[in-house]
Amino acid sequence: MVQNLFYFLTFLTLLSALMVIFSKNPIHSVLYLILTFFTISGHYILLNAQFLAAVNIIVYAGAIMVLFLFVIMFLDLKKESEQHIPALAKVAGVIAGGMLLVIFVAAFKSMQTITPDEASFNSQIGLVTTLGKVLFKQYLLPFELASVLFLSAMVGAVMLGKKEEGERNTF
Amino acid sequence: MLSIILLSVSGIASLFLGFNKSRSLLMPATLLFLLVALAVNLWDWNVPFTLSSAYNNGMMTVDKTTIVFSAILLVSALLVIPFSQNYIDRPQAQPAEYYAILLFALVGGIMMTAYDNLIMLFVGVEILSISMYVLAGSDKRNLRSTEAALKYFLMGAFATGFLLFGVALLYGATMSFSIKGIADYTNANVGNLSPLLYVGIVMVLIGVLFKVSAAPFHFWTPDVYEGSPSLFTAFMSTVVKTAGFAALYRLLAVSFTGLYDYWAMSIAVVALLTLVVGNITASHQHSFKRMMAYSGISHAGYLLIAVTAFQNTSQDAILFYSLAYSVATIAAFGVLILVADKQQGSEDFSAFNGLAKNNPFLAFVMTLAMCSLAGIPLTGGFFGKFLIFSSAFAKGGLNWLLIGAILMSAVGIYYYFKVVIAMYIREGKTEKIALTGLQQAAFVLSILLTLLLGVVPNLFADLV
Amino acid sequence: MEFITFEFLVKTAIILLVFVITLGIAAYSTLAERKISAFLQDRIGPNRAGPFGLLQPLADAGKMFFKEEFIPETSSKFLFILGPSLAMLTAMMASAVIPFGDTLQFGDTVINIQPVEANIGILYIFGVVSLGVYGVMIGGWASNNKFSLLGAIRAASQNISYELAMGFSIIAILMMTGSLSLGDIASQQKGSFFGISWLPSGTNWNIFYQPLGFILFCTCSFAECNRTPFDLPECESELVGGYHTEYSSMKLGLYLFSEYVNMFVAGLVMSTLYFGGYNYPGVDFVAANFGQNIATFLGIGVLLGKALAFIFFFMWIRWTLPRFRYDQLMNLGWKSMIPLAILNVVFTGGFIMLKEMFFS
Repeated sequence: MVQNLFYFLTFLTLLSALMVIFSKNPIHSVLYLILTFFTISGHYILLNAQFLAAVNIIVYAGAIMVLFLFVIMFLDLKKESEQHIPALAKVAGVIAGGMLLVIFVAAFKSMQTITPDEASFNSQIGLVTTLGKVLFKQYLLPFELASVLFLSAMVGAVMLGKKEEGERNTF
Repeated sequence: MLSIILLSVSGIASLFLGFNKSRSLLMPATLLFLLVALAVNLWDWNVPFTLSSAYNNGMMTVDKTTIVFSAILLVSALLVIPFSQNYIDRPQAQPAEYYAILLFALVGGIMMTAYDNLIMLFVGVEILSISMYVLAGSDKRNLRSTEAALKYFLMGAFATGFLLFGVALLYGATMSFSIKGIADYTNANVGNLSPLLYVGIVMVLIGVLFKVSAAPFHFWTPDVYEGSPSLFTAFMSTVVKTAGFAALYRLLAVSFTGLYDYWAMSIAVVALLTLVVGNITASHQHSFKRMMAYSGISHAGYLLIAVTAFQNTSQDAILFYSLAYSVATIAAFGVLILVADKQQGSEDFSAFNGLAKNNPFLAFVMTLAMCSLAGIPLTGGFFGKFLIFSSAFAKGGLNWLLIGAILMSAVGIYYYFKVVIAMYIREGKTEKIALTGLQQAAFVLSILLTLLLGVVPNLFADLV
Repeated sequence: MEFITFEFLVKTAIILLVFVITLGIAAYSTLAERKISAFLQDRIGPNRAGPFGLLQPLADAGKMFFKEEFIPETSSKFLFILGPSLAMLTAMMASAVIPFGDTLQFGDTVINIQPVEANIGILYIFGVVSLGVYGVMIGGWASNNKFSLLGAIRAASQNISYELAMGFSIIAILMMTGSLSLGDIASQQKGSFFGISWLPSGTNWNIFYQPLGFILFCTCSFAECNRTPFDLPECESELVGGYHTEYSSMKLGLYLFSEYVNMFVAGLVMSTLYFGGYNYPGVDFVAANFGQNIATFLGIGVLLGKALAFIFFFMWIRWTLPRFRYDQLMNLGWKSMIPLAILNVVFTGGFIMLKEMFFS
């Protein structure tokens, strides 16, 4: 049951992730990306990590992708305005991507999977209490310093976005 | 360790100082913050201060290497800030934000020099990069600056993706984010390493090499360095590069010593490529600033030779070279900022024509900086290159790389002296440029450091 | 078919029941809205369909179904249909984790009246609410009409802005209760008022500890439901009909209907978080004298009553207050609500710390 669900979710994840790239219409790309986030949240739930699943939905699907959609709707990108990519760049891209694919296939083929020890495995590891303890004990320092990252980004966004004196709104 | 906390707090304090209508307080305050941070940083020299394990948990180490690297970052920032005078005097400037972001960026830089955990590396890289994206675009009315910010952001985000993916793969292979944990894994499983580890190493290397602008990941560098305000270009080409190399060397030295044979050749090839691309392209630029961008790329190449050599002396060589390079680059950019301000913003070589006539001091500073960057004896750059080459020579088997590097240094002399020729020989009109006291002090300090590094290198060589 | 257990059947029944109740209440909310507006404006309101106009919702639904279905020529047809469906779907999904009542006991079997007991219930609601904006955005974009697009974009920016303050006011609640589960939060409010033992049980409501948090949450839920004074996405004087300008027949009906479902869910959530949920004064007394099951059924009724009171409050506000201007809305959201919400979090944290220092 769970295994079938896993395969189904994985199939859906990969399919929607591919559709993100292959969709011509950027709005469709964004919608597929939202679907991808949902299926990834499904994976989190399968792993008994409901907190991560919910946060993934709230932050990515609920906030970031709304902004994406927002911006794309404002820009009004049409299919025709897609930029022409020179053939050489396409060939180079295919070769580079193909080589990366070959390396990954080779790496994953010869990889041995590590299975957790079922006796000592803690099935509650994904729950919010465990996560909180890890975050606020072991990873306290990077967690706190991440606030500097956000503060810097926030100050930067305000700085770049603030209207200068005499600047006119162009839209 | 304390310096990180101090810098974060002083960044916030600088934002609050921005409420004050008078802008004159900001620069001295920032310099003061940096001096205190530097003092605190050096205070750890004899008795490294570490937070109790409840807070630290093996996230970062403070030892002499990291202290020296952090000190280089702080000194670079200290030298850059006096030249912000012209930039913050513009009516639309937002100096409090600039300084706050610079201070935050230094937090990221110090994290990159002292991390013990790949999460810390990632957060550090991100703090530094995001701050730089913003500062690159801080001249909002200038299209070039906006373009630089956007290019840097898009490319940088892509590179961050590689870094993060690499970290994930390393975790998948070794079940550890700690660089010592990864080292334990590689030592324990010699000959039976997970293939994910290899892919992970390459991905992480790509991410970090992008940040230090090594070829073939350098395409963003010229446009970004040229488009950004010179002040921040100086910061970018020194602080970001030094922090990037500190991070790169730390990762390789702690985690992947055992895998030297695996990564050394790729780094060596990247080093040679970087040298060739940087130097050859730099030699036919018309814009001094763009030339400095390519010169920045080429210096990444020299530093990569030291990484490839991977000797006991390599780390000292990187430290020494970073310091010499940073000081000289900042001096050159300082002169550029002052000259371009008088020449209607022109940053070409021709802007320097006849500079020596009315501004002998500036011309002298620039000449010394160029000599140091070119690696002329009696300057810091010479001993930097000497240390790097001798470490590579001691390694052996890298003669092809050395020959390439020496040839490229010769090319370097050509383009570095173009500006010297322009200043002393070409005819041109430049009025007297007034320097503030702080700018004079920064120039004098950089001259002193360059000469000291060149004349008595032993003073610095035994630091670590 | 080993997954069809007794518990599974019970949960299915509860879910179906909740579904029906939600739809029913939403349907009669439309009538209530018209009646209340009529009352507030000193009119009579709809009174032709059935006694007191009670069949009016059915008549409305019939009208909606039989109206001409119109799909704009150039729009993306699939997305045009997806928009209202998503709006309805996300509105209906939110009630899945609400604890509707305490436990029922039949012999040995104990039934928990909560469709799904999730240990992250409150985050689930928050996530589903944050998705609600997609229905509006997709529909507005797919209409290929600039008024619809403007309405959609207003909805998106409004929802994002007010979600932040909403999240912060929830955080203050979480810090107090120490649980993300709505079931826990509801049962924690069972005690007596401020723990004073001689007062009746079932009155230890969070509203007494978090008045500011409640005001913020309530304001934000107005904004999230696109209700006046925050109904700028469908502001007819500027935007024709807002994001649903191009919609007709039951697709329009779904949009309008989802608003009432959202109101009901918002009422349920506010009652659960701040007004004791299914608890009522004297709950222990009823349980002791008339049995647990009676007390639970009474609790269900009380919860629904509280939710209906909130719906009335929503309507009261709608027919009393004028609409905000757009910049006022943004200023209120970013410059007043969020700082206040952060202050609330800080003060809550401070009080919890003091309490642990001096009273434990």
